[in-house]
Amino acid sequence: MADKHAANGQEFDPMAAYREMRDTYMDAWAKTMAEAVKTEVYAKATGTMLDTYLSASSPFREIMEKTMLQTLQQLSMPSRADFISLAERLANVEMKLDDMDAKLDQIEKSVAKRPSAARRRKPAPAAAKEPEGAS
Amino acid sequence: MAETAVAEDQFSALAEKLSTFSKAVTTKVPIAQTPKQLVWTLNKAKLYRYIPVLPKAKRHPVPLLMVFALMNRPYVLDLRPGHSFVEFMVSQGYDLYLLDWGSPGPEDKNLKFDDYTLEYMPRAIRKMKAIAEVEEFSMLGWCIGAILTTVYAALRADDGLRNLILLTAPLDFSNKEGITFSKWVDERYFDVDKVLAAMGNMPGEMIDYGARALKPVDNYVLNYLKLWDNLKNPQVVAAWKAMNTWVTDNVPLAGGAFRQLVVDLYRNDRLMRGEWIIRGERVDLSRIRANLLTVIAAEDHITPPCQSEKILSKVSSKDKELFHIAGGHIGIMAGSAAHKITWPHIERWLGPRSK
Repeated sequence: MADKHAANGQEFDPMAAYREMRDTYMDAWAKTMAEAVKTEVYAKATGTMLDTYLSASSPFREIMEKTMLQTLQQLSMPSRADFISLAERLANVEMKLDDMDAKLDQIEKSVAKRPSAARRRKPAPAAAKEPEGAS
Repeated sequence: MAETAVAEDQFSALAEKLSTFSKAVTTKVPIAQTPKQLVWTLNKAKLYRYIPVLPKAKRHPVPLLMVFALMNRPYVLDLRPGHSFVEFMVSQGYDLYLLDWGSPGPEDKNLKFDDYTLEYMPRAIRKMKAIAEVEEFSMLGWCIGAILTTVYAALRADDGLRNLILLTAPLDFSNKEGITFSKWVDERYFDVDKVLAAMGNMPGEMIDYGARALKPVDNYVLNYLKLWDNLKNPQVVAAWKAMNTWVTDNVPLAGGAFRQLVVDLYRNDRLMRGEWIIRGERVDLSRIRANLLTVIAAEDHITPPCQSEKILSKVSSKDKELFHIAGGHIGIMAGSAAHKITWPHIERWLGPRSK
């Protein structure tokens, strides 16, 4: 038990030296990589990779889209484009509803501002109160 | 025999550590738990009102609307109980609203900053004003949310915006050397139209890769090593899990908005140069008169400080402040020191201006 503790009473950690070395190495690696990604060479390399991927995958994507569209048509099922068109129309309907909501708010506000409305909102006279003791 | 027992102990400890590590990395934790009410929706956008915890007499009369980035979930503002900006502000008596942009679908690929700032934001703000029964309000914009709020503040300067808080705001794109993203999206290397023709919207995973690749070793290696080294510390594990849940929950960016971000801002710096046209209107930053607080994260590698400083010289606001904080892009608001430095500073600034 005694050999597990260092002189200062802290538990001896055999991995501490390794961790320190690891952290020093990691810090250096992190700094180097952070600088590397800022270079024009990195920007060019990632741009080229992305461009190659898009060019290479484009024919397959087109074939997939065509096949899927034909299959859906034969099955009398709506396509992706149909759903997109429907969703766009729904968003437009929502906007119209929101416009109506705004107009209603305006009308409510202007009605509330009218003196007659303010009078109507006043509490009812004492005569209208429920008589005491009424069941 | 004794050596075997020690080896068994070591293997058992390692197995336990691996199990905890694997759980932490793969499980999602409950986040965004401050009670809120959905008060408005339009397409994928939602406006939430946080349920006040103080009586009306003790609350600030001017409501605060939070607008976060388009390509991340806004619940980083309400990460977990005890570590939530939202919870903090509600407890300080703010009538708090959050505009959540949601996740754009293929049908939203043409949405642009024009739509977000002139269709969605005015409608959400109208609703907020109607609910709060006020004419004036405050806005807090973070990251791309800061671009949206700035554009709105310039285009609708007479709409009752009293206070504007910008957090790590990417507004100035003139320093091409200091902004790594500017190099990556340079037209010599990055064909934005080809990308959008293939993908429609910019996928969340690609945006996430872009953000992480700025500091690849930190994000792909050291982040996990930090967790490994602290597996016995439940507080660190809980914080790590919450942040990891947020970081891995990516949202695509609408194609139209992404194109504007690349072409109009990163490549041509049109906002700061006063040349950005949003639905036929020029965004003139000098029209902004609201009280302005700009918060800059000194170690921000996503929005370097050089992107957020110039705005102060462009606006007409008489009351303006630049606040530098040590920390990173997200850390200043969701890190362990946020509740000691950033949140109280924002509250101290906003409180007297919300009377």
